[in-house]
Amino acid sequence: MTISFRIFLTIIAFASFYFVIKNIRKSKLLISDCIFWFFFSLIVVLLAIFPGIAIFFADLMGIQSPVNLMYLILIGLLLYLTFKQTIRISELETKITNIVQDITIERKDKK
Amino acid sequence: MKILIIIPAYNEEGNIERVVKNLIDNYPQFDYVVVNDGSHDHTTEICRKNNFNLLDQPQNLGLAGAFQTGMRYALKCGYDAAVQFDGDGQHRPEFIQAMADQISAGADIVIASRFVTEKKPKTLRMAGSNILENSIKLTTGKNVSDPTSGMRMYSKKIIKILATNINMGPEPDTLAYFIRCGADVRETQVKMDERIAGESYLNLSRSISYMLTMCVSILLVGCFRKKIEL
Repeated sequence: MTISFRIFLTIIAFASFYFVIKNIRKSKLLISDCIFWFFFSLIVVLLAIFPGIAIFFADLMGIQSPVNLMYLILIGLLLYLTFKQTIRISELETKITNIVQDITIERKDKK
Repeated sequence: MKILIIIPAYNEEGNIERVVKNLIDNYPQFDYVVVNDGSHDHTTEICRKNNFNLLDQPQNLGLAGAFQTGMRYALKCGYDAAVQFDGDGQHRPEFIQAMADQISAGADIVIASRFVTEKKPKTLRMAGSNILENSIKLTTGKNVSDPTSGMRMYSKKIIKILATNINMGPEPDTLAYFIRCGADVRETQVKMDERIAGESYLNLSRSISYMLTMCVSILLVGCFRKKIEL
């Protein structure tokens, strides 16, 4: 990995950390939902500071360039997050459906 | 001083009747409210049958959501202090008056602590408690001997903040946050019982994720959160 790519990764990590904190301060984010993003930042920073980690695992998995392993890791993390979010959205939809049904049935009782 | 006991209840059919009847019969000087957190056992029916003062959530919001429902109710009714109280019978109401006296004496938050004068036993659960205690000590300089105690009393101005803000769950990170904001947090020695019926919410994987969230929230996020005027 080139030094400029490592600097770029570090900037990405700190920028994402900054955005998460900024939104917690604005009361837009639940702290329990941010743990993933802190780990995201941490992993990216670690890979930037210690390129040996990426080189080691790239060799181990038979991937030619450690940069490609970086893409793999980041895509993997994003897929995981997307899946978790799909589950969350389904849960929320079910809850909203039930709440609307509850309110509708209660309104009927009143009239 | 008007005091409200908030009892969040999720699937507590085995305990809720005994806990609330004890409050009604022996502690009529305190008001109480049961917040049913969308239970899918007979908690709601038991409360309705006994005519308990009930806030019945149609959906499960988790402890933080049910707790905040209780706080909004306390705010709306103008209570001077509110105490969170487990529906499983492990908290003893005999200590509520001592906590209220501390609030009268100017405390903002009073924690019913098992370990002010008693020693903490060496169990896995208490190792978790120690990690949280040290995290709070490190970031606030204050010693909270029982940060995971689920029995805490809040003054009127804290009730308003808890009722109207996000990230204010009834957990150790909220305590640490209030200490950083300059709140007067005190502890009073109590005894607690084991739960009699039903199951505890915490299993191994939930405990690990709980500890992780709490540590990140206290040690990392706590340093950056916007402080609130008390």
